[in-house]
Amino acid sequence: MAKTGMERLKELEKEIYKCIHCKACRFAYSGEPSREGIGEFTGKQGTVLYEGMVDACPAGIEYGWEAFWNAGKIWIARSILSGDLEFSDEVRDVIMPCITCGQCSAQCENKIPTVDIIESLRAACVEAGVPMIEKHQLVDRLVKELNNPYGGKAEDRFKWAKDAGLGKYINNKNAKVGYYVGCTASYRQIEVAIATAKIFEQLGVDFTLIEEEVCCGSPFFRVGAVDTAQELMRKNLEAFKNLDTVYFSCAGCYRTITIDYPKWMAEGEKLPFKTMHAFELVSKLITEGQIKFKPNKELKGKVVTYHDPCHTGRHFALEMEQEMIKNSKNLMFDMRKVNKAIDAWFEIPRVILRKLEEDVGIKFVEMYRIKNNSMCCGAGGGVRAGYPDFSLRTASLRCDEANAVKADILTTECPFCWRNLSDANDLYNHGMQVMGVLEMISKYNLLDTANLK
Amino acid sequence: MSYKLPDEKDLDAMIGIVGKDYATNNKAITASYLSKSVMGLEAQIPDIVVRPKYIEEIRKILLYCSAEKIAVSPISGGLSGGFACPTIKPAGVMLDLGRMNRIIEVDTDNRYVVVEPGVTIGELWAYMHKNYPEWAPPVPDGAPPASTVMGDAIDRGFSLYTSSVGPQGDNFMCGEIVFPNGDIVRTGSWALPFAKPFYKYGLGPDIWSFLMGSQGALGVMTKVAVKIYPHPKFKTVVVWGMSNPEDMQDLTLEIGKQEFGIAHNTVMVQGGNYPLVMTRWPKDKIPHDYEFYEQLGISKWWMNWECWAQTQEELDYVVNRINKMAEDFKKNRAKDPDSIKPQELHPKQIASRLKKPNKIAVPYSFWEAGFLFITFYTPWNECAHFAKMYTAAMEKYGFPPVMWIASIERCRQAICMPIICFDSTKQSDIEKVQEMNRETTEYALKQGWLNYRPDPYIHAPLTYSQAGMYWKYLRTMKKIFDPNMIMHPGRLALP
Repeated sequence: MAKTGMERLKELEKEIYKCIHCKACRFAYSGEPSREGIGEFTGKQGTVLYEGMVDACPAGIEYGWEAFWNAGKIWIARSILSGDLEFSDEVRDVIMPCITCGQCSAQCENKIPTVDIIESLRAACVEAGVPMIEKHQLVDRLVKELNNPYGGKAEDRFKWAKDAGLGKYINNKNAKVGYYVGCTASYRQIEVAIATAKIFEQLGVDFTLIEEEVCCGSPFFRVGAVDTAQELMRKNLEAFKNLDTVYFSCAGCYRTITIDYPKWMAEGEKLPFKTMHAFELVSKLITEGQIKFKPNKELKGKVVTYHDPCHTGRHFALEMEQEMIKNSKNLMFDMRKVNKAIDAWFEIPRVILRKLEEDVGIKFVEMYRIKNNSMCCGAGGGVRAGYPDFSLRTASLRCDEANAVKADILTTECPFCWRNLSDANDLYNHGMQVMGVLEMISKYNLLDTANLK
Repeated sequence: MSYKLPDEKDLDAMIGIVGKDYATNNKAITASYLSKSVMGLEAQIPDIVVRPKYIEEIRKILLYCSAEKIAVSPISGGLSGGFACPTIKPAGVMLDLGRMNRIIEVDTDNRYVVVEPGVTIGELWAYMHKNYPEWAPPVPDGAPPASTVMGDAIDRGFSLYTSSVGPQGDNFMCGEIVFPNGDIVRTGSWALPFAKPFYKYGLGPDIWSFLMGSQGALGVMTKVAVKIYPHPKFKTVVVWGMSNPEDMQDLTLEIGKQEFGIAHNTVMVQGGNYPLVMTRWPKDKIPHDYEFYEQLGISKWWMNWECWAQTQEELDYVVNRINKMAEDFKKNRAKDPDSIKPQELHPKQIASRLKKPNKIAVPYSFWEAGFLFITFYTPWNECAHFAKMYTAAMEKYGFPPVMWIASIERCRQAICMPIICFDSTKQSDIEKVQEMNRETTEYALKQGWLNYRPDPYIHAPLTYSQAGMYWKYLRTMKKIFDPNMIMHPGRLALP
């Protein structure tokens, strides 16, 4: 029997009561006051001092009221549990404009799983009968009807594959490896899907695209439409159940199926397959010396920076941390291992970027806020759909940070981040190119597989 | 004293002053300002929250609320440990001063920085680090980075060099305050229209000092000039361990009593017992027996001296003098000489202890789910007595005996802070904490020990019940500035 939002919220009661309202969670690098930065930069969204700790909660920055910063929301959750506050439109309207980027959780010395708490709070809010905001209702209706939130037809889901000459991978019966494409790459950023599939092909991965694939449910887990999300979860689990491994190119889908599904599945149920993001595979093959990149005149000398998607970066790091804490018997000793594992996780995409620097001649430059302290792109948590202006201002703040390091190309590894950053880049004239890392590899035909075993 | 419960008309009045985007009675937003932890377990959801930006807005709000008899509680963004002084009964209007967040002026010759109340210590530290790296603002040690300079200072809190120069309140030069009677008062040399904030006591009796420790119960501070100090490159931490609080107290006093020289170089002198380390981890994921900590080289009690110097030679001199005095103490006067030993720190540990501002005081919720700092000032040579009394009380009530002690102004006072780690989801735990708090406060007051940042329902009434004349004059003076007693009622048992 799957859990309700209120049940999840009650499960998290002790975590909620750990919050002392210290508000360290509003900053990136809250534990690094003297971190050397790049100084003050005035961008399209104003002036930011990239030095030491920097305000980094998008909703708090946008709205200002305590309720929109993480700590305020945790105290709202506590008031709900204690009966001091009831669910209402007012509660919904302060808990929804949160991108659930998890920056707050990464800063918390008491290791409070803030994203879990906010998502459970939203689910409980919906269960209590508070209607979702209109834009979320619309995507909820669309996904129930069409199995994707974009209004695309089911038969068009893999049109990109057919058009790109990759149709043979649709329902490739012999393959034990699946590529879960996701709705954004299927219906919007098809260049990400094509690039990923072509790279798989170049790497000799025999994969299948499952025709029964439906939306992973990410937006619906995020906004509290848990029934919808769980229905989608059940369809996907059924469709992919015979595979050994499922690859992803979307950070949100990867996070949802790997982290959320097990939490919302019934007690004792387990994911029937292993999961991996495509960039992990590429990074692994680089480390093993099996692949390298070809030089490229067009890219040589270009300043390239990398945006860590929250869903593949921080959310996995936080999950790793929670899991290791749960299993630890002496956390004082094990915490070092936790930190080491997190560092190693964030290195995976950087292995690719550094190899691109070495082989292709790009200049890889990091933004100020990176890895666990990365600033969100503004797209997640139902915010892009529900609060598009705020979402784009946040993406523009992130583009400002890329401008501050004089990036020509802003890369990422999530089609949803790609979309939002790209839209902000155009809307606010940041003057960069936004591109997926794998997209860059595919577009410029950079892959050298001569040593591939 | 009765107060008006603010209604829609009052909200409209607030909106008329600050605009519709900065005043609300939205129930979710008002609930988000709650805080029942760290410094106190009682809080009330405010009826209206207002976020003014300008001093004139504050003046109008106070005048309106005073006329209507609506209670007002200001917060500068969270006093030094979370919302240390949240709204309590009868709630009313909360003034969130977070929008007043300008760093207005830095003067390195006269050595002050002028800030508004919403400037956080994290922001000020980053600003100084980038623009004035030779100078350090007096940010608190241990308070989280979102706490404010103003909040810490008016609380007479702790700074990173309190052990050398005194409590944070002493770092204030001049201030600007709005009183509920509508007056805007500038103190110290600032009382003169064209004076720099260079002298705190220039115009006779000092009004600003009256506001220290007021917890928002007198007026709203809107600007302050606070001292900055050199930030030298040569720093280290010296640690000596021992088996008992008496040896910790006596050795530290010998060094502090030097007054000049090394006593001034030891900017932060703080210590405690091994449960301070233990309770930073979840209760079921860390050994509880002392043997584990002993194997890690952690003494039962210890004292850190954080030393700052202008040259390596000066730093070496300070370290050598401390070590020599400790050796001499061990040989001649220690209660348990065998237990007295230097603790070697890894460079990473030294760097971690020297990091300011830090989150060192935050993770005590990790033990269970919630914690409370109950803080007292004692004469330094009574801190061991306090520590023994309080750790025994904590054990009696089933809490781990966590004790942190630090020197203020070269061991003139001790700030003693038991950290009560408990499960705040359990009402029974909360009741036990409060029962212990009452019992220990009664004992402490009999010893003449003072509570720091008194709790409104236990410490303040118990303390003032023994200081009737002082309380009478506090009340009389409050009436001058706040004739309708609207400022943070109840917080200091006023009214």
